[in-house]
Amino acid sequence: MTQAPIIATGLSRSFGTGDDAIKAVDGVDLEVQQGEIFGFLGPNGAGKSTTVRMLTTLLKPSAGTAFVAGYDVVKDADKVRRSIGVALQDAAIDPLMTGRELLTLQAVLYGLSKVAGKNRGEELLERVGLTAAADRRVGTYSGGMRRRLDLALSLVHEPTVLFLDEPTTGLDPMSRLTLWEEVKRLNAGGTTVLLTTQYLEEADQLADRIAIIDHGHIVRQGAPRELKALVGSPTLSISVASSETDEARSILARFGDLRPTSEGTLGVGLARGAEDVAAVIRALDEAGLKVRHLELDEPSLDDVFAEATGYRLEGADAANKPTESEAAPEEKKSRRGRK
Amino acid sequence: MSVSIADPKMMASSSSTRSLLRHTFVLTRRSVIGRLRQPAVLAPAFIFPLFFAALGSASFNRLASDPYFTANIATSFLNYAVAGAVLQGVLFGSTSAAGDLATDIEQGFFERLLASPISRTAIVLGRLAASMVVAVVQVVIFMAIFLVAGARIESGPIGFIGLIGGGALLALAMSAMMAGLAIKSGSPEVVQGAFPLVFVLMFLSSAFFPRHYMKGWYRTVADWNPLSHIVEGMQGFMNHELSASQFAKSWLIPFVLAIIGIAFALRALNNRLAAS
Amino acid sequence: MTEQTVNTRTISDGARPFEVVAILVKRSMMRVRRMPSAFIPSLVMPVFQLIAFSGAFGFAVTSLGIKNALDWYVPLNAMQGASFGALGVSFGLINDMQTGFFDRILMAPTPRWVTVVSSLAAAVVRCVVPITFVVIVGYIGGMNTPGGFMAIVCVAIASIAIAVVAAGFALGLTFRMRNLGAATLTQFAIFFTIFLSTSQVPLSAMSGWLRGVARINPMTNILRFARQGFLGDVTWEQSWGGIIAMAVLLILTFIFAMTGIKKFDQ
Repeated sequence: MTQAPIIATGLSRSFGTGDDAIKAVDGVDLEVQQGEIFGFLGPNGAGKSTTVRMLTTLLKPSAGTAFVAGYDVVKDADKVRRSIGVALQDAAIDPLMTGRELLTLQAVLYGLSKVAGKNRGEELLERVGLTAAADRRVGTYSGGMRRRLDLALSLVHEPTVLFLDEPTTGLDPMSRLTLWEEVKRLNAGGTTVLLTTQYLEEADQLADRIAIIDHGHIVRQGAPRELKALVGSPTLSISVASSETDEARSILARFGDLRPTSEGTLGVGLARGAEDVAAVIRALDEAGLKVRHLELDEPSLDDVFAEATGYRLEGADAANKPTESEAAPEEKKSRRGRK
Repeated sequence: MSVSIADPKMMASSSSTRSLLRHTFVLTRRSVIGRLRQPAVLAPAFIFPLFFAALGSASFNRLASDPYFTANIATSFLNYAVAGAVLQGVLFGSTSAAGDLATDIEQGFFERLLASPISRTAIVLGRLAASMVVAVVQVVIFMAIFLVAGARIESGPIGFIGLIGGGALLALAMSAMMAGLAIKSGSPEVVQGAFPLVFVLMFLSSAFFPRHYMKGWYRTVADWNPLSHIVEGMQGFMNHELSASQFAKSWLIPFVLAIIGIAFALRALNNRLAAS
Repeated sequence: MTEQTVNTRTISDGARPFEVVAILVKRSMMRVRRMPSAFIPSLVMPVFQLIAFSGAFGFAVTSLGIKNALDWYVPLNAMQGASFGALGVSFGLINDMQTGFFDRILMAPTPRWVTVVSSLAAAVVRCVVPITFVVIVGYIGGMNTPGGFMAIVCVAIASIAIAVVAAGFALGLTFRMRNLGAATLTQFAIFFTIFLSTSQVPLSAMSGWLRGVARINPMTNILRFARQGFLGDVTWEQSWGGIIAMAVLLILTFIFAMTGIKKFDQ
């Protein structure tokens, strides 16, 4: 019976001491199964990168334990490092070196001979499509190319577990798709992947299971499909004149939970599904309210996130988000990213 | 910076000389305040010169047993080193001030000043006047420290004035030339790059060691270097009775250099204005 | 794969220290080649100081019976040039910390001591050119070497030792401070250590406080060791003090660097 590749129990990390201490990660429990892609979803400042740094032995936990590839991240850090590949938020590269030189260097750092290292480098360059640019200085690479090189660097020693911290942040759509393809290919070859992201679509597309992290806690965990089903009801969002908002809100509330939607709109989760749309319109009409705009959306990860945290993710920063979830939609700074 | 460009007093002046003076005063104050806020820059202008003077007097005091030295140059090596320390402090202080000016140009504050009703000359003169003020303060502090350490001004109180005046004029000369460089290039890096050159010039003079004891091509360069004569004038104040030649060397030479420097700076200013 | 074992095909247990040192040193030299402007000051400064000191202060030493001021200053400036390599090591490390590449080095199974030794080796390789440059300028200026070939050997040993000591100190500071302040502090430390010794004049010519400080400064012994061949014969009496001083400083700064890098394992 094999142990799961990543197991964290009560993992916590605080910065600073005494009254000023910030708890960046507060009691994270997770278990990533062999061969799955696990998505860690949350806004900036939620604690994703801190968690990853603890799991990859770059940061010591303040409390809790974690086992990666079967080894304790604190006591057997060295063994953990040999089994994992890491590509962090900013590509960790030396701009003065060429791609080929960096890969050879990385290989030698991981114990290969220079010759074996060079061969391995060639292999990886081809895999990530950088053979043509291999002899150019990395400083001249585009963002997408740097990420691909970073990925190649993390694969030099054929790790069984791969950590990717926001692998496609700042990339153009083409580069993003290329990277997704590569991640899927790696996973098909048996590599377990834990990736953090602030992009819902990325989590939706790649992850077998996801965990939503907010303010250092995991608030939801499970397969995207299941989580969406839990949220269940579709979201109806309407916009009315500002003078009519209060009345509209109380009417909507009769049909389900009020939900945060984009600025200037009111949203409700229709408890009985899409069939209630007609009833809602009728009720608003009978009250003499004029609906200016109407939209019906099936639950998405966006909804899962909003339901779990009280605000929308796409484009949000943890620092900017509102503090309560019951605020009226126009008071809330919720933003709904359009794809 | 709390100096208000839109100060009604400045905008309402009628007489151009009066407005020039007033603007100069306001900008001087800003400059001096700005420099005092950067102790990290002033520290090398104090610590290094004092350290080298201390090191020199501890290392080279044997020179004081040479009769030629005590007759013609200085009473002790400490007394000799004072002038060189003053020179170093003033020169370094002036270079860093020009760095501020270049930074202002780079960051656009200079352009804002140009767009205001402040007279253009005032902008430059403000900087230069500030340099002189800072130099005077520097020299006074240096002298206090050296007097405590055992140095003596053989030419008396007037010699003390002579030293202060010399320091101020040297600061004026150096600042003017550096300001010209700053305005012309608009880059703090270029100004910083000038500092090593100043350092080299100081070594190739009597600032750290009497040129009487130098030989060959090195001696020739030191003989022709204006810094040698300026610092020897100051050494005269420290070690000999008062004489006109001390003023001639330590005041006149910097004064002439200052005229050249100011002309250069104003010319650079005009060119920059014409260009923009 | 069903077992959580380390993939032994690509990783060996003690990641080949010699290969790692070689490739990291090569990387350091490549950085110098690709960014030569950073290296120029370490060439120009020692030669400038050699000329300036011997030209300005020459009398202070020639009046003591030393034939050529260069005999006195070449060893000093060679050692100074060697110490500039230390700053390069610090800058390179800070650059790596900023790009994140240092994380990769930390993550690799390379033992910590190999990482430190690589930086020290890089400093040694970097110091060869400044030392050579200074010695050549010395010869051009008519420097004497009564101790013959051993004179060059002594100055080379002392300079290389200083390069390693300075680099170790720079590393220890950089690991702890993690910013450019470490490079500045190293510069100050080197500056004061060198100047508060027999850099300008022999002990006998010094007065008061300076003599007291110079006597206990290990640099004085090391300078004596480095200079002896330029002033006379190379003898054991003039050497052993310097050798002990170098050994002690090497050990202390190595420990300082090692304890510094270990802080990243917390």
